[in-house]
Amino acid sequence: MASSSSSLIPVMKDRECRSWSELPYELTSSILRRLDYTDILVNAQRVCTSWRRVCKDPAMWRKIDMRDLGKFRYLVKTLYHRHILDLSQGGLVELDMWYIGSDSLLDYIADRSSNLRSLKLDLISMITTDGLTEALGKLPLLEELELSRYTLSGDSLRVVGQSCPKLKTLKLHSLKIRPPGYGYGYDDDALAISETLHGLRFLLLFGNCLTKVGLNAILDNCPDLEHLDLRLCFNFKLVGDLEKRCSERIKVLRRPFDSPECPYDEREIHADISDDEVPFVPDVNSYDIFESDSDYSDSD
Amino acid sequence: MSESNKKISLISSEGEAFEVSEAVAREFEIVAHMLEDGCSGSSIPITTVDSNILGKVIEYCTKHVEVGNVEGNSEKAEKDLEEFDKRFIAVEMNTLFSLILAANYLNVKGLLNIGCQKVADTIKDMKPEEVRSIFNIENDYTPAEEEVVRKENEWAFQP
Repeated sequence: MASSSSSLIPVMKDRECRSWSELPYELTSSILRRLDYTDILVNAQRVCTSWRRVCKDPAMWRKIDMRDLGKFRYLVKTLYHRHILDLSQGGLVELDMWYIGSDSLLDYIADRSSNLRSLKLDLISMITTDGLTEALGKLPLLEELELSRYTLSGDSLRVVGQSCPKLKTLKLHSLKIRPPGYGYGYDDDALAISETLHGLRFLLLFGNCLTKVGLNAILDNCPDLEHLDLRLCFNFKLVGDLEKRCSERIKVLRRPFDSPECPYDEREIHADISDDEVPFVPDVNSYDIFESDSDYSDSD
Repeated sequence: MSESNKKISLISSEGEAFEVSEAVAREFEIVAHMLEDGCSGSSIPITTVDSNILGKVIEYCTKHVEVGNVEGNSEKAEKDLEEFDKRFIAVEMNTLFSLILAANYLNVKGLLNIGCQKVADTIKDMKPEEVRSIFNIENDYTPAEEEVVRKENEWAFQP
């Protein structure tokens, strides 16, 4: 196929019958990366051996988004996850996981993904706190952790803080949102964060029960904090000195009564999931919280 | 000859000359680099691309330069360009193959991107046999190798 010139590149002629298996490796890779995992594994890699080589390249599996697996049953999903993780050969950098997971799967991931930088988990009710804490202990390079609809105890957060010294972004979406005046404040989470996660730049505590004691501790001990999201946290009043301190210290501040609709770009990508897997937006209407502007108790 | 300063001839593999503005030629990053490296010639041989494909790549770049030059690039212009891309890349497979190779060689990133995306959109949800037939790919798996791949992915076929 070489051209008559000294160049080794074949002449790109129109209307010549060519086999697509001859396409250079990086171009085939650029094409196949645009497919979803099922297409890659079930179809593309079975086309020919050169496509298979591309599909098995760990570089293809550095970022894994496991949120689009609605079509598989639970057992199949688990097998699927293990298979994809094996393909990453320890090179996994980003992982998004929804609706699935068990302690053993998480352990499997952690044992094979010591390079993981970003972990996002949502609706992982079958993972225990101990299981999650243990797995996080094996991810020393983790920089971003997001847990949605999951509760991690203060003790677990302390372990996370000690195990993941590079953690810069922590997002915790509380499982239950307590409306103003409907519940008590506690600072277990906030104090654990302030004691161990001194390098945080981005902290989201959606619907957390922290009081002004916990908030002050975070402001005292996380000097690099630039982005603080306190929406649906109703156990303190963001007024007076506390308000002033937050506004002065924090570049991007979301206040307790700001709209709980998710305004961040990274949440927007959740919009492409199927109807029965709606993205997490707490049902604030049932609490009537935006009509009661003063009738809530402070914790102090 | 003052006009000619701004025109560049791109010579296809058959020796056919395509006269284009420098702005269009610079859309070929490979040409832009040559110009920056002091290549002063007004004709540049593109020996690995034939006239038909070179003509198409020039058509693509010309349109994108034109739209880029419109003052206050409006949403409508962007929509038009999207439409143009869509029509432009709706070509038969052999042409698409050559366009992707040419875009890669000449380093025209936008064209490479829409070319690769077009292929991916075509492959989506296709069985391996269909992909082979449409893309003229020979099944070079031995039966034993095929069995290995099938076994690896058995999970996906569980009821």
